[in-house]
Order: sequence, then structure tokens, then C-alpha cells
Amino acid sequence: MQSNARAVGAGRTASTAGRSPRRDALVAWSFALPFLLLFLVFMAGPILVALITSFTDLRVTDIRNPLSVDFVGIENYAAVLGDERFQKAAANTSAYVLVGVPLAIALGLGAALLLNQGIVKFRTFFRVGFYLPVVTSIVAISVVWRILLGTETGLVNAILGAFGVDGPGWLSDERFALWSLVAMAVWHSLGSLMVIFLAGLQTISGDLYEAAEVDGANRWQRFRGITFPLLRPTLLFAGVITGIGYVQFFEEVYVMTQGGPLNSTVSLAYYAYDQFSFGNYAYTAAIAFVLFIAIAVLTAIQFRLLRPAT
Amino acid sequence: MTSKRSTGVAIAAFAMMFALAACGRGDEADASDGGAASQAPEVDTGAASGEIDVWAMGTEGENLGVLAESFMADNPDITVTVTPVPWDAAHDRIVNAIAGGEVPDVTMVGTTWMGEFAALGGLDPTPSNIDGSEFFEGAWNTTVVDGTSYAVPWYVETRLLYYRTDLAEEGGVTEAPATWDDLKALAEGIQSAGAEYGINLQPGGTGSWQTFMPFFWQAGGEILGEDGAFTLDGEPCVEALTFYDSFFEEGLTAPAAADVPVEGEFANGNVGSFVSGPWMIGIVTDAGADPETWTVAHQPTEEAGTSFVGGANLAVLSDADNKEAGWAFIEYLSQPEVQVTWYDTVSDLPSVQSAWDDEALSGDALLSAFGDQLSDAKAPPSIATWEEVAAEIDTVIEQVTVGDMAPEEGCTAMQETASSIGTE
Repeated sequence: MQSNARAVGAGRTASTAGRSPRRDALVAWSFALPFLLLFLVFMAGPILVALITSFTDLRVTDIRNPLSVDFVGIENYAAVLGDERFQKAAANTSAYVLVGVPLAIALGLGAALLLNQGIVKFRTFFRVGFYLPVVTSIVAISVVWRILLGTETGLVNAILGAFGVDGPGWLSDERFALWSLVAMAVWHSLGSLMVIFLAGLQTISGDLYEAAEVDGANRWQRFRGITFPLLRPTLLFAGVITGIGYVQFFEEVYVMTQGGPLNSTVSLAYYAYDQFSFGNYAYTAAIAFVLFIAIAVLTAIQFRLLRPAT
Repeated sequence: MTSKRSTGVAIAAFAMMFALAACGRGDEADASDGGAASQAPEVDTGAASGEIDVWAMGTEGENLGVLAESFMADNPDITVTVTPVPWDAAHDRIVNAIAGGEVPDVTMVGTTWMGEFAALGGLDPTPSNIDGSEFFEGAWNTTVVDGTSYAVPWYVETRLLYYRTDLAEEGGVTEAPATWDDLKALAEGIQSAGAEYGINLQPGGTGSWQTFMPFFWQAGGEILGEDGAFTLDGEPCVEALTFYDSFFEEGLTAPAAADVPVEGEFANGNVGSFVSGPWMIGIVTDAGADPETWTVAHQPTEEAGTSFVGGANLAVLSDADNKEAGWAFIEYLSQPEVQVTWYDTVSDLPSVQSAWDDEALSGDALLSAFGDQLSDAKAPPSIATWEEVAAEIDTVIEQVTVGDMAPEEGCTAMQETASSIGTE
């Protein structure tokens, strides 16, 4: 990395001899301009407006005169944090993240390890099988799972019934609904994690394993001593991507439970959507920024835990 | 470079905040003094001409073209373009249209959206050519926001008790329930005759307030008091919620939302009764229920025998280009004959009372039961925040019926949350 940068630097000085750095900067900016304009107009601008909105009392009834709103300081943020439904949604979202992400990563890694070493026959079949949910729309998946998990008409309870077990209301009982959604989400994200880990595993040289084997390391020691440390960057990437996805848990809740029963599956993103549809725009903006901070904190923690060992 | 840019952004942000702060809210105009709904001066709809764009949702949107054709035949100077809008997208699309000022001339409006759209300033007050007393009172009241009418009821629906007469008789009940006690006895009787559940009531979930609020009104409750503040936590609420919950406590209704449709369960006798609207007549018949075995009944009466009235209104938008022609079209759709034609086309029940004299409606025993109930049916108040308050009521109903919240606590929770949401 270091030497690369120096080489590029050296080349630049040679080829641009005689030109002013000012002109260089101008050329660079003009190349960056199309992106920069689009970014400012469609990303940074709206985000800034949303941030300002979150400190006002804007509601749907103000949208004909959006400038005639009052500033209320941090009132929205205080109200959001004190709201029982928000706290419930935050607790549910923590459950989605803290259970769903490690489970998805563990199972994705397990599937990748099996496909990389263990399973030789039908390898393509399993790869396609695990990856298929990823290329399917989450809405379609949710609809199918909702049917599978139905209390009286669902396939899962019909199978349980064949063994004499009276299956619970997977989506209508507040003790099971959240975990039913976690199970579905994990199954859905398993495939993409598996592909990421397979790619990571391919980069680990076989020589290392051979050497370890010669030294008498068993399967578990090889995993702990070689695979896991060398897979750290891949794990970090997988953790961050999956973590962000799970903090924004939405479609599953929207299609399958609408947050019920008894708010046991309401996620933060679903709660924000709910408030937006009630027309509480300023309040929703405040929720969105709280969610943003949560994602930033979670990602920072992951970087700290999984940074390359020095 | 970086610090310079962020300073720039900060300055821009502050400038924007200052600009915003400079315009804050003016003093809100006082709400009206109550009494009869005020209407705008008469509009000369006879001389109307030009083009109008009409938005309508669902089945109505798909079939309104039929009425538009005959309207254009009567009024060759006016061209009507009907744009069907899916129900799911309709609310946001109308809000966006009002916000942007690019509106249709006439739109269909769900009755519970009236308060919000009127507060947005998006609707034109109803001119005095339209006589509010021709419509069912409950339906007309949905058009009135802060004392001014902003729309015309187009079609209505109300909720009745559907029950299996054969099972009821087997359980010793031979007459339609007149009181709450009778309703409870009916459910018990049907259950003793072998039904799995005597009645089907919604255990919370979206829209369960529409089944619960009639009980609240029957107990003498009002959603808003004289002073315009919520009155959800009084004795009527506790009585109604206790009564509603008792069906769950006593196992007379399913403890969780079922994933099998109620009509099939009703037809095969697993569920003996339920509360729903006129569309279920056809659905229950299609599900194979023998017409001899079931009927509909007026809501039971305690302090009152009130039911819920829903449906849709027609409104002219305040930014419309051609309001005269818009009102002319609405006037046409409100004629009793046209309302009957509309019933024949899509089975929407007429909002105009005199349309019910037609043989097509008065000759049908089930339908005329709905007509009777419509003269004692209420809608929630037309306030901008109703959808949010309703969602809270749905949540509390679930907490009481499925969860272990006491009805008293439930009513207090409804009142507290509704008050913190407010009415505008």
C-alpha cells in the first residue's frame, strides 16, 4: 500500500511537470462534478432537510406551507426516546440484530465450510439451494412463509399435527412471532453470507493447512488457528453488511405481522413507517436519525471487535 | 479544504433554519361555533362546461366510467375523464396532489380521511345547492370538518350482526337479539348447539375499532366531548370494553385472529355469528351458506342501537381548475335514480335516503335491514389525526382481549394516548 502510493505520487510529478496544482484540482473537480451534484441534490440535501425537519413540528397538515412550522428543539427526540412503542420497537430490533446476525453468520460460515471441504457430491445443488432465497424477492418469501406458518392451515403445523403435536400460532402468539421472523430472515440471508465466506475461504492457501496437518493439528485447531484469523476481514465485512440489514428490519414485519401480535414484532423501521403514514413527519425524521446513530454505533463496535489482529 | 466546506454547509444550514424560523406558525384561526354545518354559496352548475378529471378507487374507479358516459350524454359541454387509483396508493397520491397543487377536479375520499384533507386546505366547501338532509345523517356528518361540509356522501355501508338462525334455534334462541344480554345469550346458545365459537369478534388488529366502537356508542359513549376534547375513558368505554372482552374471557370467540376466512366457518357452522358490512351477503352466499339458515340483525340496543357507518365521499379540490363542472358531476351522482343505477352496477349502497324507496333495495329483506340500521349509524369524528387514534384503539383492544390488560386500564390508555396525539 505504502509503496504503491509513493509510486503513483512519483508518476504524477513527472507527467504533470509545468502544470499548476490549481489546474489539476480544477480538472479533478470537474470529473467529480456530475457525481457531486447528484449526491448533493438527491442525498445530502434531503438528509440535511430531514435533519432540520426533525427539530420542527412538521405534520402532514403543514405540507402546503412547509415553511410555516415552529422549531421545537429536541422535543421530538425526547418524545421518541420516552415513547413506550419506540422502546418496544428498539427492544425487538435488538433481538433481531443480536440473535439474527450471529446466527446468520454462524450458519453461513458453516454452510461455506461444508461446501468448501466436506460435501463433494451435489456441491452445485447445495450452492444453488442455499443461494436461491437471496435472489427471490423478500416480499414473495414473506407471503409464502406466512402461509407455511399459519396456525390452522399452515404446512408446519400440519406436519407437527401428523406427529400428534398441536402446533402454536407461529405468527399470532406473542411468544413465537418474533422468533419466527428471525428464523425466516436468517434462512433468507444465509445464502449471500455463504457466498461471501466461500470467496474468503478460497483466498486461504492450502499450504497452511498442509503444514498444520504435518504438525498434527486437528480439524478444530486448524479452524481456530488458520481459518478464523485469516477470515477476519471477511467476517467484518459480513457482520457490517448483515448488521445494517437487520437494524433496518422491515419487509418481513410489514408483510407477515404488521407489528403484531401485541407489538411483539414491531421493528424500528416499521415503527418509523407507521408514524410517517400517520403524517407525523418531524417525529419520523427524529426516529430515522436515532436509527442512523444506532447503525453507526453498531458498525463501530463491529470494527473494534473484528479489526485485524496486530 | 474540509473545514472550509463544512463551515459552508453549516452556514447554509443556519441560513435555512433562520429562514424557517422567520416564518413560524401564525395564529390559528378559531374553529367554528358548532351548530349546523355551513356550506359555501350556491354554484351555478347548470352553466358548467369544459373538462374534469375524476379520481376513484377500487371497483368504483373501474366502473365509474359507466356513469360518466351517461352524465356526458346529458351534459354534452362537459368531458369527464375517470382515473382509477388503487386503494393502497390513494391516500398518499391525494396528499401529494394537494401538496403540489396539481390536483384532479373531483376525487373519491375515504370517510376517515376527511379531517386530514380538510385540514390540509385541499378541499372545496360544499355549495348550498346540495341539501345535506337528503343523505343519511351519519354519512353526511363524515363530510363535516369544524362545522363546514367539504364533500358529499357517495355510497355508504354499515355493520350488522350476521347469525345462523338454525343454530340459534337449536340453542333455544328464536328472536334477533335486542340487547347486549340477548347477544350474549345468542352466542352461548349457538355454541351449545355445537358451533366451535358462538360469535367472531376481532381480537385487535387493523380496523378492529370498527367492530368495537358500535358497542361504545351503544353504551352511550361519545368519542369527542362538547369542548372538542377526547372522552374515551368514561363509564361507557369501560362497559363496552368489558362486554367486548367477556366474549374472549368466556371462550365465545376465537382468542387469536384466525387464518381461515370467517365466511367458510360461518357456512359450515363452526362460527355462529359475526359483525360485518353488506358486502358479506354475497360472500357468505358464495361460501355455500344456505339462505334459509342465516339472517342479519340490527345492532343490539343498550342506551342506543348505533352501528358504524363507512363508505366514501366525493369532494371537489380547492385547487381544481373546473369546480363548477366538478360539482355538477357530484350533483348528478347524488340523484336518487343515479344512486340506484350505481347500486345495480357495483352493489354500493345509496347514501341518499330516498333512493332506498326503489324496489331493488326495499324489496330485499337483508338489504332493507342495512337501510334501517343506516338511520342509526355513526362515523368517528372528522379530525386530522383519526387514523392514528384508531390505530391506538386497535392496539388497546388487542391488549385487553388477547393480553391481560383490564378494561379500565385500556380506556385510560386510549384516552391518554388520544389526548397526546390531539385532534389536529
